[in-house]
Amino acid sequence: MLDRSSVARVELDWAGPERLTMNMGPQHPSAHGVFRAIVTLEGETVVAVDAVIGYLHRCHEKLAETLTYAQYPSIASKTDYVAAMTSEFAYVLAAEEIGKIDVPKRAQYLRVICAELQRIASHLLWLGTWCMDMGGALGGGATIFLYCIRERETILDLFESLVGARLLYGFYQVGGVRYDIPSGWTQACRSTLELIEQRVVEYERMLENNPFFLARAKGVGVISRDLAQDIGIAGPLLRGSGISYDVRRAAPYSSYGDFDFSIPIETDGDCFARYRVRMVEFRQAITIIRQALDRLPEGPISSRPALKSVAQTRIPKGEAYARVEGPRGEVGNYMVADGSAKPYRMKWRGASFSNLSVLPHIIPGHKVADVVAIMGSVDPVFGEVDR
Amino acid sequence: MAAVPPWAMLLVAPFVVLNVVVGLVTYITLLERKFAARMQSRIGPYRVGPHGLLQPIADALKLMMKEDIVPAAADRHVFNLAPIVFLIPCMLIFATIPFAPGLGVGDLNIGILFFLAVSSMEIVGLFMAGWGSNNKYALLSAMRAVNQIISYDLPFIFSALVPVILAGSLKLGDIAALQQGSLLHWFIFYPVIGQLAFIMFVVATLAAENRVPFDILEAESELVAGFRVEYSGMKFALIQLGEYAHMIGSSFLGALLFLGAWSGPGPESIGPVWFLLKMVFMFLLVTWIRWSFVRIRADQILALSWKVLLPATLALLLTTAVVVVWRTNGF
Amino acid sequence: MASELATIVPAVIRAMGMTLRNLFRKPITVHYPDKPRTYPDRYRGLLALTYDKETGEENCIGCRLCEYVCPPAVIKVEMLKSEKRNYAKTFSLELYACEFCELCVQVCPTDAIVMMKSFDLATADRREMLLDKDRLHAIGLQHQPSWATGNLLRDMQTPPKAAAPAHAAKPPAAATPAAATVEPAAPGKAEPPTPKPADSTPAKADA
Repeated sequence: MLDRSSVARVELDWAGPERLTMNMGPQHPSAHGVFRAIVTLEGETVVAVDAVIGYLHRCHEKLAETLTYAQYPSIASKTDYVAAMTSEFAYVLAAEEIGKIDVPKRAQYLRVICAELQRIASHLLWLGTWCMDMGGALGGGATIFLYCIRERETILDLFESLVGARLLYGFYQVGGVRYDIPSGWTQACRSTLELIEQRVVEYERMLENNPFFLARAKGVGVISRDLAQDIGIAGPLLRGSGISYDVRRAAPYSSYGDFDFSIPIETDGDCFARYRVRMVEFRQAITIIRQALDRLPEGPISSRPALKSVAQTRIPKGEAYARVEGPRGEVGNYMVADGSAKPYRMKWRGASFSNLSVLPHIIPGHKVADVVAIMGSVDPVFGEVDR
Repeated sequence: MAAVPPWAMLLVAPFVVLNVVVGLVTYITLLERKFAARMQSRIGPYRVGPHGLLQPIADALKLMMKEDIVPAAADRHVFNLAPIVFLIPCMLIFATIPFAPGLGVGDLNIGILFFLAVSSMEIVGLFMAGWGSNNKYALLSAMRAVNQIISYDLPFIFSALVPVILAGSLKLGDIAALQQGSLLHWFIFYPVIGQLAFIMFVVATLAAENRVPFDILEAESELVAGFRVEYSGMKFALIQLGEYAHMIGSSFLGALLFLGAWSGPGPESIGPVWFLLKMVFMFLLVTWIRWSFVRIRADQILALSWKVLLPATLALLLTTAVVVVWRTNGF
Repeated sequence: MASELATIVPAVIRAMGMTLRNLFRKPITVHYPDKPRTYPDRYRGLLALTYDKETGEENCIGCRLCEYVCPPAVIKVEMLKSEKRNYAKTFSLELYACEFCELCVQVCPTDAIVMMKSFDLATADRREMLLDKDRLHAIGLQHQPSWATGNLLRDMQTPPKAAAPAHAAKPPAAATPAAATVEPAAPGKAEPPTPKPADSTPAKADA
């Protein structure tokens, strides 16, 4: 590892004979957010990588202590802003677990539908930005990026007609959800799912046997099975390395046990394996949504009275850790409630934060160009990392 | 044409050709942007002028008005000279291309040799740009560029030599003349050899032009514009001009070597129009490839060149020579 | 080598074919602002204050519920007491810091504050986005309001009084200890709260 003094002093420096310290700085076209990676190069090979985070820290955990259970879900969206509903989900699940609040079946199904739609939207963005990192903003990468964004827009239109917002919602609330589906939404949802199914097939045709893509993704960034187990990553990174673990199966929440879906596992552990896992997750998410739409029960969408004032929801003393399977991994929320309208303490387990810890282990030995490919396949979102 | 004295032609023809080339370069950038946009389900430039037709003019004006920044630690003379040294070979290649039988700046006896030799000289300008910027990113990119262009110049030359062998002459006018008459005379339709040579020519052109999938040296996601990163304003415009001029020159060469230059239905006088259309076709082909693929790593690019493309083009050249001798001496 | 070529060439052609196919698809660009964008019914756009449809009076009674619920605390209200009903003396909303979370709309008892189906916010000066009461009323008259008003949202979320056994909904009688204690916000609210733990909401309880 680098010594701290050289890191603080100069951005580009010599770190010993034949070695070059290069900064892939916080402003970078492919840093997936604000992320600073100090890479030590020998020629074109990366020898060490040191990650500096914290550029997007906005004190979410302190904020949760000052905002009530009614106010915070809208803010929770801002941690993982690409898959905003995931964080809201974890927060309300934790509150409901402490307060032993039941959620009506319809609300549970709606939660599942939105969480899976959010997963599809997030994976679309992942695919687009990953290919753009590998292909350049002026090149084939941008083409796939624009196709994925085009499809993501259709999902965001669905959210827009359901909630009113496109990126940061406020859909979940303690006890249920805030909005019920308007008329015609189910139909629109089904036709959107069909469109996305077709288009995912198109993306695979563009990428699957593509020699250029395979050259960049196969064998790159291998996370061995042992490393994956030891280091505490989750999500597609884990499943790409052969470990079958998905929170939706391991600890089903919100009626996930009612649905019939499979968890994709790949054993290679390289970027291509993680790509395959996410491509299958597209299809599984579509399956889940279709099942949920078919069996959507009637009923109320919240078991609590409608929100009329800010301190309406009080959760009794207790603590709980709730976790959901986000698109990036396990998003966890540890909450300590003290009987008032605000939590006493709330901690986020950010999926991307834990996933980033794997970078210093898998990047050294690869070339500079692989750093962006690996970062893209790890798919960090820095709102979740820095909170 | 006969009334004009030859020394006047010597001054007028290059002037006309250079201006036409600069005009072509600006509008071909617009064509690329619109074409790429349509492939991405969007519209390209639209607002500046009807359907974006004035966009290149707006870009050129903007670049002319931008502040010319020279980094304090840069090597001034190398930095300032680099765009010019880069641009001159890219313009010189148009000296050898005949746009119609007898029309052009000059039709050298060693036309294609001159073209290939001069176009490789842009590496010097490129490296000067990378070195003079005094920027580690620029230097890294310039070194990769030198690596890549040198590696791909050889397959480029060998695949361009296949039509030379088929025609039996280095003179570009002769090569074009031999493809007149009918569609099947075009060298791209020469059984097997023509198609293979065309494909290798296109691949080598992509790499020599630093186009995706071989654009490792600009690689925005890693090196943020590579050797051009410190340039702004008119110097940047010159570098862009040089790159696109080289692109157009290679497209003209490809159209001439493989697609029959000015052959096409209609009277002889619209030959240059056909040539232009074929050049646009070559350019769009390269653009189509560019916007469909992700880039590959530097070491993979070099591996592709030395391990695959070079042996393949050599083998093809040998085969062409054998086939030509075989055919001239009767079956 | 030949087997590699056998996979490479079709893959390359397939990828290029995909781009070519998109070349002939209609672009999805919408020529905004020449062509207006259709916003869905529930769109969360600009905020505005409304007038009563029949009487033409301001709906806002200055109860300050929206001020308390706003997460980034961008709303500031002062109440003006009057004989029959209360008004808002000043109402300022910092639109540049607003999160558009719709919580203020949710809690408003008189449907006074609503969101519009328009998002045309761009200004050259941030101070133009500090909306005072007159600006807010003007915005309300300029654009189309979204479907979501306070009462409609609360109706949507309220569980029905009679809990059917088929659903897993908890009947209101066995309410959790964290009961629906509505904080007495400010005097002069239009609908007085009924703090009955057995009942879900005082008014409009339909699913």
